[in-house]
Amino acid sequence: MIESRRVEAGGGKREGVGGKPVELGPLPGGHHGLTREQILDSQRERLLAAVAQRVATRGYRATTITEIVKVASVSTRDFYEIFENKEECFLAALDVVRDHLVDLVDNAVAPESDWPNQVVGAIRVLLEFFAAEPDLARLCLVEAISATPVSALRFREAVLACVPGMELGRSELTDPDSLLPGTESSLIGGAISLAGRSILAGEPEKLPDLLPDLTAFILSPYLGPASAARFAARLRT
Amino acid sequence: MKRAHVSYKTFYKHFSSKEDCFLALFETAFARTERTIRERLDAAPRPWPDQVVLALRTLMETIAADPVMARAVLVKAPVTGSAIADRYEQAIQGFVPLFSAGRELNPRSADLPATLEDALVGAIFWSAYQRLLVGEADQLNADLPVLIELVLRAYIGPEKASRIARAEALGLQPVLA
Repeated sequence: MIESRRVEAGGGKREGVGGKPVELGPLPGGHHGLTREQILDSQRERLLAAVAQRVATRGYRATTITEIVKVASVSTRDFYEIFENKEECFLAALDVVRDHLVDLVDNAVAPESDWPNQVVGAIRVLLEFFAAEPDLARLCLVEAISATPVSALRFREAVLACVPGMELGRSELTDPDSLLPGTESSLIGGAISLAGRSILAGEPEKLPDLLPDLTAFILSPYLGPASAARFAARLRT
Repeated sequence: MKRAHVSYKTFYKHFSSKEDCFLALFETAFARTERTIRERLDAAPRPWPDQVVLALRTLMETIAADPVMARAVLVKAPVTGSAIADRYEQAIQGFVPLFSAGRELNPRSADLPATLEDALVGAIFWSAYQRLLVGEADQLNADLPVLIELVLRAYIGPEKASRIARAEALGLQPVLA
């Protein structure tokens, strides 16, 4: 995903034959017709992709700026022109992924007319994304939690941002207050832990298989266990 | 080492590496918590919902009693090193048999997802984790009724679960009374 964004960087100027985006390597020297700003933008995008890949592979702690700049084909000097340090680069990558996830969820939820199906749509798109992008799955669901105090707080914020959408499910209840406040946060936390386990077990490709169970888990307090089980059963077939 | 007033030599007499030292720290924390919960559960026979309440309350009390240690364990454990991650997994899995025993109380337990207990355990540790992150160990008690309700409702239904959770919230403490 960061991949596709870095092609957009530089105002879409770097196009190959037939309007196809070219693979981004280091920029050629000499007169390439790009402003300094455009070059920095492109370098920034490459550094974000590089930090995501290195941290997912080696862990935040073990990853060095030397590795990041090597993968990104950016000089150390330019790195420090763009980012203060490794953490800032890592946090910027997390922000890009988070924004993308928000877009994905918004798009998945929009066509669904009722809350339970919106929830299913959101869970499905997230699971499919993380299965297709195992590096980013590890980055978001494993590394972000413990890499640095700031990344942990960002992770917490991102998760708690899902709470209002979940609370809409209370309108399915005869008494919306029959669920204690805080239920939503716990439900989301449980779902994330389950997804995180698949990643820690080295099986990100199995994430979409969690859809029926997660759906039942999350919908159950709102629709009741029987109705939630029916929803999940439909997703199993 | 500086804080512990221990020399390099002494450090390495006890631990082969920093990793080892962490593992020992986590081991102590996990073992103590597990033992406390086990002892309290074994102290007297009680109905299954009360066992869940007691176990969760004990867990939250243990975490709140030493938030610095708990934070180190909960925040770092899942990714620190594979031995520690394994121990963490083992520790949180300790709750699974206790919860899944509740399936016997649910005539429709076949409808429950196979991963239900894992998700519930995840919900519990997430709640503690996110409080510790922002230094709200004192709020763990407030989360306890939410977690009790969440766990119990899947097995004994929302009405009974809600009653027990709200009694806990009001500090009625029916279990230990």
